[in-house]
Amino acid sequence: MEKGYFSLILHGHLPFVRHPEHENFLEESWFYEAITETYVPLISVFEKLAEEKIHFRVTMTLSPTLLSMFLDPLLQDRYVKHIHRLIELANKEVERTRFDGPFNNLARMYLANFTRARDVFLRYGKNLVTPFKQLQEQGYLEIISCGATHGFFPLLGNQTAIRAQVKVAVDHYKSIFGRAPVGFWLPECAYTPDCDQVLKENGVKYFFLDAHGVLHASPRPKYGTFAPIYCRSGVAAFGRDLESSKQVWSSVEGYPGDYLYREFYRDVGFDLDFEYVKPYIHPDGIRVNTGMKYYRITGLSNHKEPYDEHLAREKAADHAGNFLFNRHRQVEYLYDLLGKKPIIVSPYDAELYGHWWFEGPQWLDFLIRKIHYDQDTIRMVTPFEYLSENPKNQVATPSMSSWGYKGYNEVWLQGTNDWIYRHLHKATERMNELANQYGKTNVNGVTERSLNQALRELLLAQSSDWAFIIGTGTHVSYAVNRTKDHLLRFNRIYEDVKSNRIDEHWLKEIEHKDNIFPYIDYRVYQS
Amino acid sequence: MPNPPFYFGLLKKMKKNNKALPVKSSVKASAKENQQKKTTALLKRQFKKNPVRIHSSGAVFAAQPEIKLAKFYTGIDVRQPHQHQATELPERYHENKIVLLVRDPWWLFSYWEVKSETVEEIKGRFKERFNGAKLILRAYDVSYIVFNGKNANYSFDIEVNSDLKNWYIDVGRPGSSWCVDIGFKLVDGTFIMIARSNTVATPSDAPSIVTDEEWMIPDDLFARLYGMGFGFGPNSPVGRDWRKYLKAFITSPGVFSVSSPQKGRAQKQKDFWLIANTELIVYGATRPDAKVKIFGKPVKLQPDGTFSLRFALSDGTHEIPIEAKPADDSDRRTITPIVSQKTH
Repeated sequence: MEKGYFSLILHGHLPFVRHPEHENFLEESWFYEAITETYVPLISVFEKLAEEKIHFRVTMTLSPTLLSMFLDPLLQDRYVKHIHRLIELANKEVERTRFDGPFNNLARMYLANFTRARDVFLRYGKNLVTPFKQLQEQGYLEIISCGATHGFFPLLGNQTAIRAQVKVAVDHYKSIFGRAPVGFWLPECAYTPDCDQVLKENGVKYFFLDAHGVLHASPRPKYGTFAPIYCRSGVAAFGRDLESSKQVWSSVEGYPGDYLYREFYRDVGFDLDFEYVKPYIHPDGIRVNTGMKYYRITGLSNHKEPYDEHLAREKAADHAGNFLFNRHRQVEYLYDLLGKKPIIVSPYDAELYGHWWFEGPQWLDFLIRKIHYDQDTIRMVTPFEYLSENPKNQVATPSMSSWGYKGYNEVWLQGTNDWIYRHLHKATERMNELANQYGKTNVNGVTERSLNQALRELLLAQSSDWAFIIGTGTHVSYAVNRTKDHLLRFNRIYEDVKSNRIDEHWLKEIEHKDNIFPYIDYRVYQS
Repeated sequence: MPNPPFYFGLLKKMKKNNKALPVKSSVKASAKENQQKKTTALLKRQFKKNPVRIHSSGAVFAAQPEIKLAKFYTGIDVRQPHQHQATELPERYHENKIVLLVRDPWWLFSYWEVKSETVEEIKGRFKERFNGAKLILRAYDVSYIVFNGKNANYSFDIEVNSDLKNWYIDVGRPGSSWCVDIGFKLVDGTFIMIARSNTVATPSDAPSIVTDEEWMIPDDLFARLYGMGFGFGPNSPVGRDWRKYLKAFITSPGVFSVSSPQKGRAQKQKDFWLIANTELIVYGATRPDAKVKIFGKPVKLQPDGTFSLRFALSDGTHEIPIEAKPADDSDRRTITPIVSQKTH
């Protein structure tokens, strides 16, 4: 009989990046790389496990923006082109490295990976939602939802804005999965006391908090982060376990920094002769990452040794064993301390697996197999499964918190990005005004379309990703432009609708550009 | 509902239980404290101008920005192509408004707009009395009360320049509720309010003092659960007092973690470096309809019958067998260059 539960959560999200106006848009590669390096490898691991009838339970966010990109025909076709180009490059690399054993092996590894990515992608008719949906229906995955565009709840300005982020997301989820999501990932794990009531209204049963969101809850939680608490609204909140988080997340102590693992920052897009690599970098001749990375981390200096797939694989197996060993010690200790079975909640960014930590999907595969075959101290559960087995929990009000640097809102509210909120809040206020003014009457088709588009623009401007990127100080201009573009489009619609001067041609153009959430209803902003 | 402020009732409870819990000193701040607040706010302004990056070590939160940023990493920091410059957002929305946001348990952020017509109107109304008037933010601690503009637990003023549009306010009080007015303070002390903000509550930076009777948890037991995995460095979400308090309790509940031995991730280094590699280009030409094989593998010819292949060279001797045959296989030519490389 097990002594504790283990719940693994992968948070899959990317902001909505889709630029039909350009054939080749740099930031779209965020999505393409995520498919090749994270989502296809995860699907492959999960499918193999399912095929071998190995028990596992993983909870996974697929954010509404990520789902929308998975389902978008333009991006689907562009990914096929993208992966074909990579396969071509890998083929050339296999030839070029003929005299160079280690690199030749690497080129072959990438050729195999890219080919697999293409095959999986095409096997599902270019729609990667299908395999995730199947894995959910087979009982392996619990797919949860997230803010419509990953808006940062504590800074959105009011509850109506939070309600729209939740409602639009839940409706979108229903249209894809045929039922409401049981769980919800608060964007950036950011909780504000306004939000659990809104989750309740939308049928959500649970969400996650960073550790101090639970530990600082009031009244004091008896079991710390090792059991969920119920908010007054009746929605359960699960706290992040820091011990297991640190082993994977930490850049100092974490597994992904092991010297045998693949180095993220060295890419053939920068390392190879310009003329040779030119067809595979940006068409304007700017070197960018291709995804073919030949070196292992090696050490602290610039000197890098070639990557060795087999050594890294062995290391990933070691690390999976170490992780499980530590969970056993932790669970045994807690079981005695608490007098009941603890739940260890370990959430990670999905892209940590594969994109940043190349060996992550293998590690996960080893971990799940070890949990299945080698032990019975812990059991993998989804939070909903836990709640079904343990319905009685303490009632407490969580504390405002996020999983960002320093634990609160500062990452998204600092000198470089605080200018956003004045404009976001104004747009929120205006959206509210429009919804109240037009929502109860019959408006003509073009006005209706304008109002819906206004909401799309507002939601897209709210993505926490823009403030995050601006705050980190790199790659800033794209995020600044996205924030401004959506707000300006919103403002123009507002003015046009109010003065009854809608430019239908322009409206059509931005409906085509920002085509997320086709069935959105602006009345969600009515109050 | 905001949590009840941490310091109310705490004193009472502490006395009763006689526990060494930390206490935020007093509710009413002295004039001296007020002065300190101003100074801190000024320092903060400096900080905003010259932001200092604080690098952390070890805290679990520290790892994430780099990893999360990796999602958006394409290899270049500054991009040129297709870069359109978004038009600027409106400078102002022509309204009197002030908004308060929470940054963390200790700091709030406020932004505002004051219409110039309003300033003119006030000037006109107060005439000479307006001379020397200062635009100020007046922050009110409204924890646990229904605020009527006069009954704040405590308040303090921050002088703001008329060209400023926002300010970080150091309230230093986890678990308390705040609202703020913007207005002019005349030389005689009269305050003319222009706008009042929303009310916000700072989160607690420590465990709640509310422990259900039935569910009472001894501090040491809770401290053991609480301390697990937290870093107590400068980036910790835990307030200073509790960090100190915990150190007394935590001996080593979390030492069962043995992760990998490496000493951390190398960032891209910018010191001096040299990389040199060699590549070999094999090129040639034959009849456009001929079949060419290199290493026994067919090579695609250009329409003019030329071909070109490149190989990364490693040290050692390499043979490169090249074979060409006409379309009808009636002939056969071979050339085999032998190349050797030695690197010192």
